[in-house]
Amino acid sequence: MVHWIPDSQRDEEEMLRAIGLTTSDELYSDVPRKARIGRLGIGAAQEEGEAVRTVDKILDRNRPFSRFANFLGGRYATRYLPAAVDSVLQRSEFYTSYTPYQAEASQGMLQALFEFQSLWVELTGLDVANASLYDGATASGEALLLARRVHEGRRFLVPASLPWEERSVLSNYATGPGLTVVEIPFEERTGLIDLGRIAEEVRKGDVFGVLADVPNGFGHLDDHLFELRSTLGDLPLIVRADPLALTVLEPPARYGADIVVGEGQSFGIPPSYGGPGVGLFACRKDFVRLSPGRIVGATHDKYGRRAYALTLQTREQHIRRSRATSNICTNESLIALAFVVYASVVGPRGLAELQRGLAERARTIASALAGLDGLRSPRFEAPYLSDFTIELTRGTASEFLERLRKRGVLGGVPLRDPRPGAPDQPERILVSATETVDDKAIAKLVSAASSALASTGGSK
Amino acid sequence: MTFRQARWDEPPIWELSASAPTGRAPSISGVPDRWTRKEALRWPELSELEVLRHYTRLSQMNFGIETVTYPLGSCTMKYNPRVSEVIARRKTATELHPEQPVETVQGALEIIWRLERMLSRITGMPEISLQPAAGAHGEYSALLMVRAYFRDKGELGQRTEVLLPDTAHGTNPASATMAGFTTRELPSKGGCVDVDALRAAVSDKTACFMLTNPNTAGLFESDILEIAETVHRAGGMLYYDGANLNAILGITHPGKMGFDVAHLNLHKTFATPHGGGGPGAGVLAANATLAPYLPIPRVVKSGRKFRLDYDRPKSIGKVRSGPGNFGLDLRAFVFTLIHGEEGLKHVARRAVLNSNYVAARLGKRLPRPFRPLVKHEFLLSGEPLLSRGVRTLDLAKRLLDEGVHAPTVYFPMIVPEALMVELPETESRRALDEYVAAFERALDDTDEHLRGAPTATSVGRIDEVECARHPLLSWKDLRAEGVPPGGAPDGRKP
Repeated sequence: MVHWIPDSQRDEEEMLRAIGLTTSDELYSDVPRKARIGRLGIGAAQEEGEAVRTVDKILDRNRPFSRFANFLGGRYATRYLPAAVDSVLQRSEFYTSYTPYQAEASQGMLQALFEFQSLWVELTGLDVANASLYDGATASGEALLLARRVHEGRRFLVPASLPWEERSVLSNYATGPGLTVVEIPFEERTGLIDLGRIAEEVRKGDVFGVLADVPNGFGHLDDHLFELRSTLGDLPLIVRADPLALTVLEPPARYGADIVVGEGQSFGIPPSYGGPGVGLFACRKDFVRLSPGRIVGATHDKYGRRAYALTLQTREQHIRRSRATSNICTNESLIALAFVVYASVVGPRGLAELQRGLAERARTIASALAGLDGLRSPRFEAPYLSDFTIELTRGTASEFLERLRKRGVLGGVPLRDPRPGAPDQPERILVSATETVDDKAIAKLVSAASSALASTGGSK
Repeated sequence: MTFRQARWDEPPIWELSASAPTGRAPSISGVPDRWTRKEALRWPELSELEVLRHYTRLSQMNFGIETVTYPLGSCTMKYNPRVSEVIARRKTATELHPEQPVETVQGALEIIWRLERMLSRITGMPEISLQPAAGAHGEYSALLMVRAYFRDKGELGQRTEVLLPDTAHGTNPASATMAGFTTRELPSKGGCVDVDALRAAVSDKTACFMLTNPNTAGLFESDILEIAETVHRAGGMLYYDGANLNAILGITHPGKMGFDVAHLNLHKTFATPHGGGGPGAGVLAANATLAPYLPIPRVVKSGRKFRLDYDRPKSIGKVRSGPGNFGLDLRAFVFTLIHGEEGLKHVARRAVLNSNYVAARLGKRLPRPFRPLVKHEFLLSGEPLLSRGVRTLDLAKRLLDEGVHAPTVYFPMIVPEALMVELPETESRRALDEYVAAFERALDDTDEHLRGAPTATSVGRIDEVECARHPLLSWKDLRAEGVPPGGAPDGRKP
């Protein structure tokens, strides 16, 4: 029995009579016969307990990463989350509420979002952050559109090392206004962006913005970023940055970023097969009236008490309609809340220590793998934090990862565009350190990798 | 009802502790010094209890569905089943990285596949993608598909226009602009599409007509089949904005009505929580013509195994990272399983009954602009209050003092001083009667009280215009402004 709909036939009959109807069919007298449908064919209702069993049976076919020696990471983190974070998210006043249009009755969420914005401002060194976008990739897309609003041109430069998904998302954001995403190759030895090529493209003209990422798609820190600003002149520089990395690294504003975006999933929620996450977005103050997304401002109520409200709404779709700075309406408020709660529970020292510890762990993994014949670890010579790239010199990444899986190891993220027709790609894998990676897990990885490589004949 | 919201003078989190790290961040071997943060992150060091107390107090200063009736039009604020929250937190659901080998995520792929099949039947559209993150994102993705379709047909240069009724959600025109179309809003007639005006407007420039049905006036567009024919005869596509699907579950569907492509909001119709403004999930549904353009990957079943198919040459590619908001897909799956066929029909009927019941009663107190039979929501006009010197905004704020959420206000724009009220199926008769009584008390209150409302919420009326004029958007701004701890920005006592 579903108890989600109040169960009273008598009430329903009385309500129908009150509006002058006798049957509930009459509620649909405005739907033409020819537009009516018969059965949906989705099956009969299941009791709650039955549905739980049904779903659990399906979910049991999943093998969570915690059951493996797990080296997956990159844009989605598989880190440990303190229990306190989810307990805040489970407050129904937060998770069942809507966008805080009625500020006076929504001060809790508004203040939390103001704190979230403040945290991303502190991490990036920029002036203004919004109350969240969908995810890191769409935040990059919105940044591309903002860059175009503040600078003329039709071409947008991105590193070719950017994961294919993000290049695809950016191309989609570019296509509406007729813009082009240009991939800048990386240096073969370091994997870092080819600064000369950027300068060349900028000289050619028609460029309206440049995106770089920290760490980049290979996990590395791109030293060229410190020189990029002077190459770009007044071109907007967008940096996509990892929030945990920013607890130990210089804020991107220090090296001239005008917009900083990121994915915040790692701060507070599990990856849940890819979503939800939270898009982080900050920019210079003089861009804010052209920027996308909801923004919370601090103000006061009529008694002079501190208060918060959604602000600068004339940028937004519900007011500006076709001339809005973005179509975004629902964003990721609850995950933004998770972000700020996680950071506050772990604390600034804890976060920096966590990043330092993971980086040390990553070095241990990289050197443990370096001894193996048949792969290069790390593939690129450049500084890195928790993630780095290996390259197989024989066999394919997919076979290699499959062999590892059979030995209880999730070896990393294959850096490969899976679309048929994608150009030939080297067999690269992004390997990540998490808190769950101990010496035993590393030993297991090395042994599985070594036997996988041994059973792979010939060199590529 | 006597209602008082908690009123904690809860400072922003950085005012809770003077202890914050100073100096440089720890250095990391192999990372050059130029990269190292020279000033540690400025954020307070707090105990776990301090953090929890802070956010628990904040939560007490927030309306939610489990505390109040939330008749926010267009948002379908129904009960978010607790069982879905429990299921979505299973380790077998949360501890899945989107790049895990497909052999280890067969269950997730099966949930996606089965939910897609169910939504295909509910929408009458053959193919579904769960990738978009929210409704507006679904709209935008659908328009990118329409764009790609006309490009392939060699008509993109000519079909540059998206038509919409003047009652359309703001996201519709905004999405159309982002997808590179120009937009044209058509005046409605009696709250619905004026088919003659539509006939006059469509041409070989029309790429798409965007419509929600029932529409934002709460009315079912009874001319829908004629509308579809008109758009199709001109060679355009008909887009279904699924924000209002709740009202017609099991009665009709976008496929039957002649739509070519649609988005659904799992966080409305399928009861996934709104989370204070997200996450959402904006399912895409496409007919056979547009299905090849859906985002990749597609989940396919071969034998008993599920896999990800990237081999869709016409696909628009990716619209976000990962396969979608799987955590929400799972909740929607549980919702649909537990309701089943008959349950979903009951959802629609009860939601429509609830809205008509309250509409009939409140219609005795304020004018209702259009025909009386509505679907999931209805409009009232607060125009008569203007002669009392009271605006719709005042009424909305006064309703908060009754311990109910305000309706959506000033939308759609075709109705002066509009109030848009939606009472989903999970509201009981008793809750509806209490809501009507609260609304009447608010209307009968003095003009002064209305203009002075709210008084029972954690803060009093906020001047949002002033907030926008002098934006203070972060802690950094407050520091620069010299706002003292515990003080309010520019908070002169009146």
